[in-house]
Amino acid sequence: MIELRNVTKYFRTTKGKKYILKNSTFTIPSDHNVGILGRNGAGKSTLMRMLGKIEFPNKGEIVSDKSFSWPMGLGGGFQGNMTGRSNVKFVCRIYGKSSKEIEESIAFVKKFSELGDYFEMPIKTYSSGMKSRLTFGLSLAFDFDYLLIDETLSVGDARFRKKSKEALMKKIETCNVLLVSHDMGTLRTICDVGIVSHEAKLHYFDDINDAIKMYDDINI
Amino acid sequence: MVSRTSWQVQKSVIYALFLREMNVRFSAGKMGYFWIIFEPLLQITIFVSVKVMLFGANSQFDFPVFITLGFIAFNLFRHTVDRSMTAFSANKGLYAYKQVKPIDALVSRVLAEILVSTIIVSIFIVVGFYFGFDMNAENLGLVILSFWWLIIFTFGIGLLVAVVGIFFDSFKKITKLILSPMMFISAIFYSMQDLPQSARELLWYNPLAHFIELIHANYFYTLDDGFVDYNYMVLWTMIPLFIALWLYRKLEKGIISK
Repeated sequence: MIELRNVTKYFRTTKGKKYILKNSTFTIPSDHNVGILGRNGAGKSTLMRMLGKIEFPNKGEIVSDKSFSWPMGLGGGFQGNMTGRSNVKFVCRIYGKSSKEIEESIAFVKKFSELGDYFEMPIKTYSSGMKSRLTFGLSLAFDFDYLLIDETLSVGDARFRKKSKEALMKKIETCNVLLVSHDMGTLRTICDVGIVSHEAKLHYFDDINDAIKMYDDINI
Repeated sequence: MVSRTSWQVQKSVIYALFLREMNVRFSAGKMGYFWIIFEPLLQITIFVSVKVMLFGANSQFDFPVFITLGFIAFNLFRHTVDRSMTAFSANKGLYAYKQVKPIDALVSRVLAEILVSTIIVSIFIVVGFYFGFDMNAENLGLVILSFWWLIIFTFGIGLLVAVVGIFFDSFKKITKLILSPMMFISAIFYSMQDLPQSARELLWYNPLAHFIELIHANYFYTLDDGFVDYNYMVLWTMIPLFIALWLYRKLEKGIISK
């Protein structure tokens, strides 16, 4: 269960405060794969970052006893001057893996991400598709209660997209996802409940199809 | 996931950041090993030559050892403060992992700096023995203790500069401006007792001069800590450290999502 208690989040801009959430109290029930929809700038990524505890509400709190992955977004989560390998090593270390487990994880991520020689090169030489391969592969090496996925499934070539979707379907047998996507097909196959983020409010739907319907409505 | 105590988490984060720091500094192509030795060597050579040329080779103690000690302490301070300024921004990408806090990046940089200093000291000890310098310390324990005090002082200043500097860019520029002439006013290649009264009164305000004077005083039999003001050093250690920690606690979230 994820509880949002009176959460207010805004960004200060030169044109005043821009609200992402205004005094939202909200519960996301356990054991569901949640699709998050909303227009660009509605605050989907910010919500993800708040769940991943790297962005913080201005007021209120988010309470959960579940473990969350880092938000897998297009932006990164990687340090550009480190190689793919050393980034993987770093993340394994901060999650307290032993050196034997680290070796296994490196082997796994290297194989899954199919980066080849790029795995030994700095992340800043990667394309955004390659970055999301790495971050997605890396997240599969850990056991989180929730994976936070922010549109990373929709990048990469068709073959890798198919592969990661299959890997994700297998992974969600043991964990849940919070998925931001603009691809309705992906949302329908992976998620069963949905949240629409619209005008600083969250709308919850027991059925992802209802969420998609509302999203379509606000986009008319 | 296996749950760990926050101390275990922070320890593993600092360790991972520390390894990354060392990796970056000593990676191929940057000649890291060369520079950590060459920089102090150059400083020492220049200042020893100047001294010998101007005042002759006579001294009541082994002058190269005196100056080496001064520069090791000074470089430890300057490099740590210098690197603290960029510590928060250099690891920005890694804040995507909630375990990684900005202060961990700073602590790991300070630790890296301590290790580098230790390496330099070890090399100089070997070189010193080989060339037969008089390296007997009057009180080695107190010298080491003084170095640790210097490190805590440096950490406080470094954290303060890091926290304020990330919000005010001009603060970093001012710090850099202050740091550059520090080499000449910190009692590195002279002792306070050799200075005229007026100069001594002026240098008294520089806390770093007290630290280096203290290290020298504990090392050499012929020097003492008569010009060291311990209260002043305590103030300069505590006040910046507490202000910095207080500010950091208030601003941590802002630094992460900046």
